[in-house]
Amino acid sequence: MATVAASPTYAGAESGEQTGLWSWLTTVDHKRIGVLYLYTSLFFFLFGGLEAVLIRAQLSGPNKHLVSAETFNQLFTMHGTTMIFLAVMPLSSAFFNFLIPLQIGARDVAFPRLNAFSYWVYLFGGLFITLPIFFSAAPDGGWFGYAPLTTRQFSQGVNIDFWVLGLQILGISSLAAAFNFITTIINLRAPGMNLMRMPMFTWMAFVVQFLLVLAFPVITIALFFLQFDRFFGTNFYEIGAGGDPLLWQHLFWIFGHPEVYILILPAFGLVSEVLPTNSKKPLFGYPVMVYSGILIGFLGFGVWAHHMFSVGMGPIADTVFGLTTLLIAIPTGVKIFNWIFTMWGGSIRFTTAMKFAIGLVALFTIGGISGVTHASPPADLQQTDTYYIVAHFHYVLFGGSIMGIFAGIYHYFPKMFGRMMSEKLGSWHFWLNFIAMNLTFFPMHFSGMLGMPRRIYTYDAGQGWETFNLLSTIGAFMLVLATAIFVWNFFRSKSSGALAPDNPWDAATLEWSIPSPPPEYNFAEIPLVESRYPLWDLTHPERTSEIPHTHDGWSDQEKAAEAKPVHIEKDRRTAKELGIPMPLPTIKPLFVAAGIVVMLSGLIFIHKEDKTAAAALIGLGAIMIIGFLYAWVTSPLEPDHH
Amino acid sequence: MPFITPVFGERMQLKIRPRQLASVAILTGLALAIAACGSYGKGYPNSTFNNTTEFNTAVKSLWDKLLFWGTFVFILVEGILVYTIFRFRRRSDADEPQHVHGNTALEIGWTIAPAVILTFIAIPTVRTIFRTQARAVPNALQVEVVGHQWWWEFRYPQYTTRTPTGRVDTLVTANDLYLPIGRTANFTLRTKDVLHSFWIPQLGGKRDLISNHTNYLWFTPDTSLRTTAFNGSCNEYCGASHANMRFRTFVVTPTEFDGWVQHQLGPAAFAVAPPAPPTPAPADTTRAAGAPTRPASTTPAPVPVTPAVAVAPQPIGYTFPMDSLPNYSSPKTPTPAGLSFPDNITGDAQRGAQQFARSACIGCHTVRGTIAASPIGPNLTHIATRSTIAAGIYPNDAKHLRLWIKNARMMKPGVAMPTLGLGQRDPITGATVSQSLGGLSDQQIADIVAYLQALR
Repeated sequence: MATVAASPTYAGAESGEQTGLWSWLTTVDHKRIGVLYLYTSLFFFLFGGLEAVLIRAQLSGPNKHLVSAETFNQLFTMHGTTMIFLAVMPLSSAFFNFLIPLQIGARDVAFPRLNAFSYWVYLFGGLFITLPIFFSAAPDGGWFGYAPLTTRQFSQGVNIDFWVLGLQILGISSLAAAFNFITTIINLRAPGMNLMRMPMFTWMAFVVQFLLVLAFPVITIALFFLQFDRFFGTNFYEIGAGGDPLLWQHLFWIFGHPEVYILILPAFGLVSEVLPTNSKKPLFGYPVMVYSGILIGFLGFGVWAHHMFSVGMGPIADTVFGLTTLLIAIPTGVKIFNWIFTMWGGSIRFTTAMKFAIGLVALFTIGGISGVTHASPPADLQQTDTYYIVAHFHYVLFGGSIMGIFAGIYHYFPKMFGRMMSEKLGSWHFWLNFIAMNLTFFPMHFSGMLGMPRRIYTYDAGQGWETFNLLSTIGAFMLVLATAIFVWNFFRSKSSGALAPDNPWDAATLEWSIPSPPPEYNFAEIPLVESRYPLWDLTHPERTSEIPHTHDGWSDQEKAAEAKPVHIEKDRRTAKELGIPMPLPTIKPLFVAAGIVVMLSGLIFIHKEDKTAAAALIGLGAIMIIGFLYAWVTSPLEPDHH
Repeated sequence: MPFITPVFGERMQLKIRPRQLASVAILTGLALAIAACGSYGKGYPNSTFNNTTEFNTAVKSLWDKLLFWGTFVFILVEGILVYTIFRFRRRSDADEPQHVHGNTALEIGWTIAPAVILTFIAIPTVRTIFRTQARAVPNALQVEVVGHQWWWEFRYPQYTTRTPTGRVDTLVTANDLYLPIGRTANFTLRTKDVLHSFWIPQLGGKRDLISNHTNYLWFTPDTSLRTTAFNGSCNEYCGASHANMRFRTFVVTPTEFDGWVQHQLGPAAFAVAPPAPPTPAPADTTRAAGAPTRPASTTPAPVPVTPAVAVAPQPIGYTFPMDSLPNYSSPKTPTPAGLSFPDNITGDAQRGAQQFARSACIGCHTVRGTIAASPIGPNLTHIATRSTIAAGIYPNDAKHLRLWIKNARMMKPGVAMPTLGLGQRDPITGATVSQSLGGLSDQQIADIVAYLQALR
């Protein structure tokens, strides 16, 4: 059935001008940008993991001093910042980029050049916030950056400057991408793909984009206040001038809690693709899965102060936020049951992706249960800021997000790179990862409830924490081994894995109807959709016979022609041969992104005696932004082909 | 479309499969977890599971409910999950399951069931919130907790003393908190700088110390308690030495507490540092208790506010006996490599008192009854009665005090206490401490330490 005869080159590489470094710097193809996101975020994932290993090495026993207090504080700050903003979010972005247009039957995202811009801002912002660690100047105020510790009075150095500016830069990337995907999903769906026929991953991605659009402005404001305090002498958080540290906490968590769902919902989406495919069954309760996803996103904005039960908000606020937090367990529980009942009665094939997906269901459940234990404010007072919380959110973010993302990588690797990953290595990766993950994080429940605070670079002997910490550290080193197997598998499979067929997993959605890897134009003919599972309509009509099939959204000609809904493209042709106009590659988004970073980095030097460096960088950055943005908006997206 | 799983498709003979390895590991882990659960609460000096106060009792009763329902849900969900993946694993690629798209009754069921369970949690939660955050009883012991980077100041505003000059001094201590058993302690929480969080896992908490805000917390050490010590810590990340911001709580009988208050309110043992003649060489006898003569010195020494009463009184009242400090409360922090103090130096408390009074010490510290009256650092009036120094990270003994004065910044990252030993390198400023910077010789440090150790 292999439609790919030759060794697959990357999508779009057929046309000569699209190979080599330059083609990657100038690409506006959502699939290549997705791959760039994937590589970059995997790199940052490894980097953040390395930071975690150093943290665990330091805490392996009492009174250890492998690294200094200052270095440790930079390590845990950067571990959190890296994993959240530079690893898990962009790993999700890799899938948004690669999958959304393919799943909705589109040829690209709505704004391909803006998409490239989002990536470059992310890359430069990530480097901007990461590189200072090599000069012992990394941010050291925690990923939550609580004022007033982050104000100039208590953090004199440039460490926090890099953090504030870095997060602002990354916010630009997230917002630009979010608007792009919202526009794409609303406008570019194939005929017949109404909202309730969208694949679950695209649905969850859709919810996440709204969370991004609504949550990021809040942290942007919070960061602007801090930025102005630090650079221009305002007094939003300056305690000497009556500033209020709680302003920061509220703003940060109004962003910070939806951020949790920004991190987890894409993984939920990926798992919702993997579980039905490998169970030979449709997703159980599709509409409920959609509504619960929306509800989680919505409730996510009403629970932020559960991060603040110990700040003394008073019994009324504690009660309200405790109850809303308990409520969020309901739609999450519904999702868990729906996943299990998707498998129930099915024919479960244990691909590596499936193992990771089941792993998510098993581990996220634990994270959810421990989450309920600190939704109760009085109980949370004994838990907050201890290792119990560290255990909880690693079950959610590692057991949830990361397991889901690994499921996604194993599942979509054939589509992305045209080759299969080794299932054998994958199995080793899964089991080692699963055991190591539990070994690392489960003992933290105990160390936390037995009184160990978070964010301490050392602890004294005889506190009853030694065994649990040693176990956690052993687990962390096992995770290194598991991840090494994954990296080996990834690169080996990419160069010499078995060639992938179009639809290796017998899946139901549109991305599997085109060659692996997809051609630059994705779909030679835009597919027509008549049900939720367009490909199963073709290959396994019995699986979809119970759900309605309509031609709503098709044009009259399409209805009249009784067109074949999904077209399976057998031959690899170029866009030129098919006469499909493709967006022109361009370097301008990269330079605009670079301009933003150059301009903001000027602020780092603003407190120096000599203002030349600051003025020069700000000026140069501004010129780059304006110049390249002008060139960008005045150049056509596609070649003139009239 | 044949699908080949290299691992599960083939039936190999002697081959370790990750799955088998995993089941062994998971069973081992489970056994360990059960073992850990069995011993929970026992032998853990900072355990949160106990009934030492009404606060902790309330939290524990909530926790028990949460643990019960959590375990119930865990077993239910993971049980169904494990059953499902075993029962419905693919036996043949030709399997074609039934294509259920959903089941409204089931879905409503598992929406309502969690809601019911959550109600069982929500009701006691809300009751506990309002009970624990009610106003403290009026006759409660008032304790003001003031957070500093990185140490704790505890003030007892109900206990004051009037100095000979008429100033009213409040009972104040640092990093050692004394609480009477059976009396509600109402904490007023404030911070001088960044955010901190006050927590004694064994007794209750935690409550944050927020700049420009005042927070409250109260609990009552249960009458079933015996005199003992508990550890406390800062739980809100507060900068370089967040990990080094610890304290000790001594729950004591009401009688012992009264004795302690009486003692702490008394004058310092060396209430006045008399301007001494330049003393040659270390004295061979310790004259700690001797009545010093008033020398006719012309050194611009601090002017005493009261006549010299430098008699070290036999401590009256009560201090928690340090030799019965539980093992978990006696600090074991190793001293930094590269910082040492010669053993053969004997300090002289008298000279130490004078040295103290003309050194940088008085810029930050208070010793009641002397010119040292700065509120920046910990109050040292009765420092010799404290269990630890440097906020719970070193024992309060001559060795550690000497090293501390010599180079505090090596012993505790980021600390405000300057490096004072002559020739020492200050790790924050990078400067080498010289005479002109107020550097102290080993002999002078030993003298000051002798003085501090006499401040009972």
